[in-house]
Amino acid sequence: MSETTNIPRVVVIGLASCFGCQINITNIESHLMEVLGQIDVRYWQLTSSDTMPDEFDVAVIEGAATTKEALETLASVRERAKVVITIGACAATAGIPGMAAPEWQDRINDVYGDNTPAIVSDIACKPQAVHDVIKVDYEVPCCPIDPYAFVHVLQKALYGSNEYSRTSTMCGECKRNERGCFYGRGILCMGMITKQGCGARCPNLGRPCNGCAGLSPDANLDAARVVVQHSGVPLKRFNDALAMFNQDDPRIAL
Amino acid sequence: MLYRVIDADELPALVEAFMRDYEVIASVRSGKSFAFETVHSFDEIVLDYPTTLTSLKKYLLPPRETLFEYDMEDGVTDYVLQVRPRVLFGAHACDINAMNNLDLVFDDKRYPDPYYEAHRRATMIVGIGCIPSDSCFCHLLDSGEVRSGYDLFLADIGGRYLVSIGSVEGANILEAACNPREATDADRRAFREYTRRRQQAFNPDIPSVQEIPMLMDAFHSDDFWEELGSRCLNCTACASVCPTCYCFDICDVLDPNAQTGRRERVWDACTSPQFALVTGGHNFRSGTRERVRHRMYHKLNGFNSKYGRYLCVGCGRCVHACKTDISPIKVLEFFERKGAEDAE
Repeated sequence: MSETTNIPRVVVIGLASCFGCQINITNIESHLMEVLGQIDVRYWQLTSSDTMPDEFDVAVIEGAATTKEALETLASVRERAKVVITIGACAATAGIPGMAAPEWQDRINDVYGDNTPAIVSDIACKPQAVHDVIKVDYEVPCCPIDPYAFVHVLQKALYGSNEYSRTSTMCGECKRNERGCFYGRGILCMGMITKQGCGARCPNLGRPCNGCAGLSPDANLDAARVVVQHSGVPLKRFNDALAMFNQDDPRIAL
Repeated sequence: MLYRVIDADELPALVEAFMRDYEVIASVRSGKSFAFETVHSFDEIVLDYPTTLTSLKKYLLPPRETLFEYDMEDGVTDYVLQVRPRVLFGAHACDINAMNNLDLVFDDKRYPDPYYEAHRRATMIVGIGCIPSDSCFCHLLDSGEVRSGYDLFLADIGGRYLVSIGSVEGANILEAACNPREATDADRRAFREYTRRRQQAFNPDIPSVQEIPMLMDAFHSDDFWEELGSRCLNCTACASVCPTCYCFDICDVLDPNAQTGRRERVWDACTSPQFALVTGGHNFRSGTRERVRHRMYHKLNGFNSKYGRYLCVGCGRCVHACKTDISPIKVLEFFERKGAEDAE
């Protein structure tokens, strides 16, 4: 950590995103000062116009990389940070910006036609998840993040943890909430292929999972598609829903 | 076994008597299904529920339980045993057998689990006879009847209940709340009729297979496991709803202040991809074939070799919870197919 003090120096960086995950960090309210007391926030565009310092220990990144400048920022952040934490679905999966990733150059043409301003081609790049650009140490998933999940991951990075990360999908957590299954009612739910960890929060509130935590590395898409078809949900809806948060994942290709 | 008979209209008084000193847990309607929840009046209770989404396990082994609290400076600050005196009212035979199986593991004389023990000591169980639904196969795994592990067990014999008394505490509450009378020959005949009706209600399409533990060994390498495992979604819903899946993980949870925290025990599942991952990075069951097979082995073979009975009690909850139709019924059907092939 820092040479002169033991307090880790943290920078918070916003790339292409709604900045909602950064805002959500402030929603820990009563605990915010406790958490800020454990770190030395050197840069946070959302809260201060101070420019990014050259030296820091932990970089927290929200958003997808959609510009050449973002790629440079990420490269330089990785060089300087001891720990890189991404927050939110846009950073972890390219998220909403990532939906433009397939044939992204055609989309520029769709918008500007033959009159694409030079600046657009100068700055744009294919929307990418942060881990597709640089090595990421920790990811806080979901859209938006659970701010306590962020604190948990930050502390894991600062102090270590005996917890291992699970790749099981969400139905197990959903059943712990004693929720019946949406598929029994013919409603599309992405829980059966989405990484667990959020506690199946949306289904517990009566809404199907939209998969914002991203595909589990152990998602069984073939088996899931059979379930979808048997339940009477059109397969196209399932495949379209997959595209929202998993553009960086080659497994969604049909 | 001591039997008494009470009239059906005495049941509310029995429940109210329990409510005076206990939190009463019973089956209530929950969406399209049923769930065990705390009830505050007899009217909330559904006595003739087919099954519930999840089991009574959560009252003896909570999904998340604090074992102790700690402080970064002072170490362990509080050893926590949060126990509420409860009565589980209206448990089916399979579920009482399931809790008896959990007792074998956690109430072990040499290695007792103090948390489980505390919950169990504070829990009374009132069983109720049931009419099996299509996914029930308790009778095929020696769990259709229950001989111990309850305080009272009620069987509806038409306008009255035959009450099997399992404990002094149960008898005392029954005596105080109702007017139990000796069973007459007419009651016994009504009970026999009820038993016959129940036996006849089991789904005949679920095959009865002899020597299941041995067959599990005989077909350990069969392609069946690859086929069954290939459907697994890795979701662990099976273990969440299972009344006898008791595996857990332990982890430390730091509070946001980074000064205090809790050591927690949380449910784990052998169908979770990381379950058999060990230090050094090797995973002993890295594929769904191995994990699904392992789960079935523990239920139908492994537990038998240690405790002499099936761990699976045939409650059928995983039959509903698994969206890709993986359940012990599929294993029984496989053995029946193999038996038919061998006979040819």
